[in-house]
Amino acid sequence: MGKPSDLIQGTLDLLILKTLAAEPKHGWAIAKRIQQVSDEVLQITQGSLYPALHRLEQQALISAEWGQTETGRDAKFYQLTKAGRAALKSETAQWERLSAAVGLVLRNA
Amino acid sequence: MTLSRWIQIARLRTRSLFRRGAVERELARELQSHLDLQIDEYIARGMKPEQARQAALREFGGIARFQDEVRDTWHTSLLGDLRRDLRYSWRGLRRRPLLLIVSVLSIGLGVAVNTTIFALANTLFLSPPSARDATRLVHIRSARSSHASYEQWRALSASGALAGVAGYQIESEVNWLRGDAAVTLVPMLVTANFFDVLGVPIALGRGFNANEARAELDPRVVVISDGFWRSALGGDSTAVGKAITLNARPYTIVGVLAPHIRGIFGYGSAPEVYLPLSKTLLPYLTEPGAAVVQLVGRLRDDQTLADGRAAFTAAARRAEGTMVSPADTGFARIELFSPARGLSQSGAPGTVAAFLGLLLVIVGLILCIACANVAGLLLARNAERRHEIALRLALGAGRARLVRQLLTEGLWLALLGTLGGVALAVPLMGLMNRVSLPFPMPVELDLKIDAAVVGYASLLIAIACVLSALAPALQATRLSLAPALKDDGRGVLSPRLTLRRLLAIGQVAVSLTLLITATLFVRNLARTQSLDAGFDTAHAAVAQIAFVQDRYSRVAREAMIETALERVRAIPGVTSAAATTGVPLTIRGGRTSGIEITLDGFKDEVHVEFSGTDVGPDYFATMGMRTLRGREFRRTDDASAPRVVIANEEFVRRYLSGRDPVGRILNLPGDSSTEPTEIVGVVSNTKHRTLGEATRAAIYVPLRQRKIDSRVVFIVARTAHDPDALLAPVRRVIAQLDPSTAVDVRTMRSALAFAFLPSRVGAIVVGSLGVLGLVLAMIGLFGVISFGASRRVREIAIRMSLGATRRNVMGIVLRDAIVVAGTGMALGMAASVVVTRPLAAFLVDGLSVRDPLCYAMTAVSLAMVALAASWIPAWRAARIDPMAVLRRD
Repeated sequence: MGKPSDLIQGTLDLLILKTLAAEPKHGWAIAKRIQQVSDEVLQITQGSLYPALHRLEQQALISAEWGQTETGRDAKFYQLTKAGRAALKSETAQWERLSAAVGLVLRNA
Repeated sequence: MTLSRWIQIARLRTRSLFRRGAVERELARELQSHLDLQIDEYIARGMKPEQARQAALREFGGIARFQDEVRDTWHTSLLGDLRRDLRYSWRGLRRRPLLLIVSVLSIGLGVAVNTTIFALANTLFLSPPSARDATRLVHIRSARSSHASYEQWRALSASGALAGVAGYQIESEVNWLRGDAAVTLVPMLVTANFFDVLGVPIALGRGFNANEARAELDPRVVVISDGFWRSALGGDSTAVGKAITLNARPYTIVGVLAPHIRGIFGYGSAPEVYLPLSKTLLPYLTEPGAAVVQLVGRLRDDQTLADGRAAFTAAARRAEGTMVSPADTGFARIELFSPARGLSQSGAPGTVAAFLGLLLVIVGLILCIACANVAGLLLARNAERRHEIALRLALGAGRARLVRQLLTEGLWLALLGTLGGVALAVPLMGLMNRVSLPFPMPVELDLKIDAAVVGYASLLIAIACVLSALAPALQATRLSLAPALKDDGRGVLSPRLTLRRLLAIGQVAVSLTLLITATLFVRNLARTQSLDAGFDTAHAAVAQIAFVQDRYSRVAREAMIETALERVRAIPGVTSAAATTGVPLTIRGGRTSGIEITLDGFKDEVHVEFSGTDVGPDYFATMGMRTLRGREFRRTDDASAPRVVIANEEFVRRYLSGRDPVGRILNLPGDSSTEPTEIVGVVSNTKHRTLGEATRAAIYVPLRQRKIDSRVVFIVARTAHDPDALLAPVRRVIAQLDPSTAVDVRTMRSALAFAFLPSRVGAIVVGSLGVLGLVLAMIGLFGVISFGASRRVREIAIRMSLGATRRNVMGIVLRDAIVVAGTGMALGMAASVVVTRPLAAFLVDGLSVRDPLCYAMTAVSLAMVALAASWIPAWRAARIDPMAVLRRD
């Protein structure tokens, strides 16, 4: 599962869901977006991005549709399903609880 | 999870499983698009195109590496696991050929009888008739009658309410001249537009069209069935245009139907000839209100059933004025065509449907017994694997995952068993297709493996898999870890009430119930055959003489019958002969009437129900019936003489309160008008319709005093010797009368075959299914007792080394068998008392569903077979070498 320098699997899923929350995006844009927003800290390789996207699609958390980019290229656009939106909400809450807990330990232990 | 999400997931899984190529191409396209976007970006940053491409590819790395990873996500868990499990469990099963063979055989036999019975139900009740676009066909009948008059059909057909309305009937007969002798056929008489409306597949020539076949033209055309074409015309490819002689007139063949036509009448009935209606064939065709044809309609393409119903009802109402019998225009009962509805429309399919329902229950139970066998074997096998299963559970395998894997074994067995069973069902169906039944019209049971049967068999795979493997899988994975890991699987004491023993008890109970049912049907046949018909069935021959409808005057016909009788009486060995219009217990068993009569000596009109037959002089003596009071009919009881009748005992008992009837005058309305009629005699009772019936009242009328003359007359000849010897001479002397007259001579016994048919079919079919159930249950019992004994080898060895004799050891094992079989039988008895109650509908009067003899016979035979099945393991257990067993540990 986990690869060196990769994110924990669940975390990547969460980031993808969050990135798609605003609007549908294709794979390349998702990777770019995560990279930009994280100030280039999180580099998503295709090798982890596409398995994650397809896994989420198989779980019906996101759905895919072919469309055109602004530059006129064909691309597969992903968007959140209803179930995906619900998952994003609960996963985010989970993450916040966890990171708060880890923060507490790191500060106070 | 919401339903829509499940559906979405299922859709994606199926797509990745079955449309692999498309999914692969899409992935490649997606990755290419990513690459292109990356190149675009590099170019935007100022790289040269070629340079940008190189950089993007470099960054992308090995595509193949992560393509695999993506593919893995498509086959998450279920399907991938299934494939792995199938492979794994097949390896396991292959190492246990005995388990494999017994299981596949058990399920195979169960599935074979299930698919065969289902195919029978399918062909009788579920399959549509052979017609173009059969789903657009509708039944049409009125609230009061299944048949319409010819006028009604004409008006309704011309109304244009539906795409077409045709009519048909199979209540007539024609004489077909085969060589130099005539044979009676039951034709399908149809309206001229029948083939236009239905679009029945035709192999040679064509169906007749509405213009040439109008009844008013007295059409002489015929369409013949494939079977008739082959048997009567030797499959002559130039048959169309030739003529066959029906009722002594030539009819030109215009078409030959395609083979395996499912007739519109249902029941597998396959009429040999289709004739257009005409006054020649049906003299009463245009009589007002005569019930002539059943109606079948075809909806227009733009009509729903409701539209069709509305349009038709309106048309029927509009046509009311032209209707001969305006009271009966309520042709509103329009239903989509199905053989089952066709049957319910035409009479009483109830018993046949109920019998098929019973058979489906029986074969279902047989499949349950078979699956219990397999479950028993799998339980034993899983018990041997306790160790392995416990280990895997301890290492963290999920229970659900393990259950699924164990279920896969059941899936293999169910799959192979069902395939074997269907293969076995093919010859079984062939056998049933070849059975010829004593019906007046050929019956082609076209059992075959079609989509419905395949669907049913697939359902059986799932049922067999769950029934045989679920319980063992749940049981095997429920074990608590510690003892199972420590136990070596050869414990000293087996628990008293294992799942296996429960299964065996259930099998014995169910098979006992099946056997009781089977025995009831066999007893029913025996009872039927020993029932007193009320007349001598052993020493008589019956000749059925069917005249061509309008060939002779009544006087000429009576003279011919008289001549025939004289000639028959002259045959050596014949002691007496008589004419009659009906022979009891045949299809022509006489009329059934229910009328009001006035009776001499009774104030009010009495409602009487009786069976009526017209008979000639000497009839009662010839039939071997007793004349209890008064006299037989004489030659002088003819049209010019005073009206007389003879009643049977039951009539006197029921309607005359036992008072002496002879000389009493009654008024029989209708046929004999209201002329006063004298009862001149009383004769003994006979059975009329079925052997099992309650005794019916009967009235006999002299043949020559009857106003309506019958086209069909029987001559009964009595002999002191073997009636078989009479057949040829009787046929010869009667056939000399006129070759256009169809003569069919049989012994009385074979003429009654029809009456025995239900009990015979019941006994054969249910009896053999009962035996099959018993065999399967005994395999199960044998398995349980053997397994129980093998698990107690160590205990037995210890007992033997402490001095137990072989007899003692056999006793231990047999006691085990007695407990299992005894409990099962007790439960089975109790269940049978309740569940066999509806069988009363199939049994003759006087045989109770709780027939004690039947219960006793069944219990004794099951106990003996059970003892035999457990004897072998007991015998084997008594022959183990205690030292060898104990040393092994």
